Amino acid sequence: METEVTGPDAYGNEAYKKLFEALMGEMGKALSLDRAKIFLDPARPLFIFTIVMRTEPESKTIADAASIRTEGSDVHITISDENYAPEILSALWRIYGRDSVDQQTRFDIKIGNGDDERIAGTEITSGEDAKQEIIGAMWRILPEGIKARHNISEGRIITIAATEEIFTQELKDIALRMHSEVRDSANV
Amino acid sequence: MYEVMMYDGGVYRSNELLEMIEDIGGVVLQKTRSAQMLTVTMSIPGEDKEEVEKVCTAIGGMVKSVPLAGTEIAVVGPTLGRHHMPHPICDIAEVLRQLGAITVVMGLARGRGKATSQISMQEMDIINEYDAAVFVLGNFKSCVEAKSHLFEKIKVPVILVSGPMPDNLEETCDAIVSGVGRKSERMRTPEERKKLDEISDRTDEVLRIKRKMLEEDPLFVHPAEIKQLLEEYEPIKESLRPAPIVLHLDGLRLKVPMKDNVKNISDMIVYGRRLGDITKISESRIDGSSMIVRIMTSSEVRDRDRDAQGHVPPVP
Repeated sequence: METEVTGPDAYGNEAYKKLFEALMGEMGKALSLDRAKIFLDPARPLFIFTIVMRTEPESKTIADAASIRTEGSDVHITISDENYAPEILSALWRIYGRDSVDQQTRFDIKIGNGDDERIAGTEITSGEDAKQEIIGAMWRILPEGIKARHNISEGRIITIAATEEIFTQELKDIALRMHSEVRDSANV
Repeated sequence: MYEVMMYDGGVYRSNELLEMIEDIGGVVLQKTRSAQMLTVTMSIPGEDKEEVEKVCTAIGGMVKSVPLAGTEIAVVGPTLGRHHMPHPICDIAEVLRQLGAITVVMGLARGRGKATSQISMQEMDIINEYDAAVFVLGNFKSCVEAKSHLFEKIKVPVILVSGPMPDNLEETCDAIVSGVGRKSERMRTPEERKKLDEISDRTDEVLRIKRKMLEEDPLFVHPAEIKQLLEEYEPIKESLRPAPIVLHLDGLRLKVPMKDNVKNISDMIVYGRRLGDITKISESRIDGSSMIVRIMTSSEVRDRDRDAQGHVPPVP
């Protein structure tokens, strides 16, 4: 991930670059980001974070994170991506109830009288969830007192601008300008 | 002159050390036992230091210097939110504890924000109960400078820890340590450990000045002597709180309710005087479960005696 930080406070720029990279890594989001441009103006105050994701998050179904086979009336599910194991399990519980979902090992689940097509097409996470997680991570990086926030989301680019009190049109324009610059330079 | 040091070792034969402290007229400031390990912070006469060190090493322990022993320090952050806790505030509190201080970590209710940060009167009163306060602020110079109102009315010495070095705050606080700021992980690199040492050194310097000022008009009785007396007091002996008596430079914090105990404690006799006559006892602003005992200075006690005898000061 390439991170560029600009703003009038040199010490703060350097410190926030480290914080951004450390916290994104800690929350498991660093690998999904291609680049980040950050503008910090504590005197105003105005903080703008624009990130470009490697790919636009898409929704995932159980078939994307597990293999499914039918034996007689039983459906066997083998989870291939452990990250989605809790979501798969809770989706199956929701459809068939806990008593009908037999988790035989950590990754193997058996469902009696299951419908393999319905299971395969069940959505476990939406693209919107992934974006929300990244936005949540950026909110965590922003200073705590900077509560007035404005989000711009477009394809794989997300911009968050934040200030302390009133979010004026002028501040929104600055954020939109930075968002457009990053979008044009990222060739999205 | 009394010196404070810490024994760090096993429980085995520790009675020999405790008896020696008693024999030479020393005081145990704090004793913490964890399984078979024991730390004893003690105040002993300077001339017996070598003998005590010999006993500590003979029973298999180590002797550590604890310049902050006998003090209680508040480490204050703008809030208790994850932006400020646990790092670096808890790292700073930990390094102060290693030097013998009792520390508390405190977050202000509305300390976040540049234009909106506030400190309440109650928060100021709570901070003023401690011997010193370490304020930990963030990475932007203009924000650190704008937040100086959080500590400018604090009466106890303030050590400011921030990212960049702020301008024109030398008069507002007693010491400034820059180069820390907001952290997302433990301060464990050699540079960061050095910075923590710098914070503890500056805190020690500030408290030495406070000690010197107290020596100019010494307290009527040393807090450790009152501690010795109170250790035999039943509600304190029965208290399950980790440190029911905490020493301050000019008094003590007693973790027993004021309303149930103030009369009994005031009636205790120290050097032929009621404790209530040589101290100012008040309820802690944190809650009613603890109280603050401030010991009067010798001159305050003399003035009080003169007033009691009906002495009228001459008109200048």
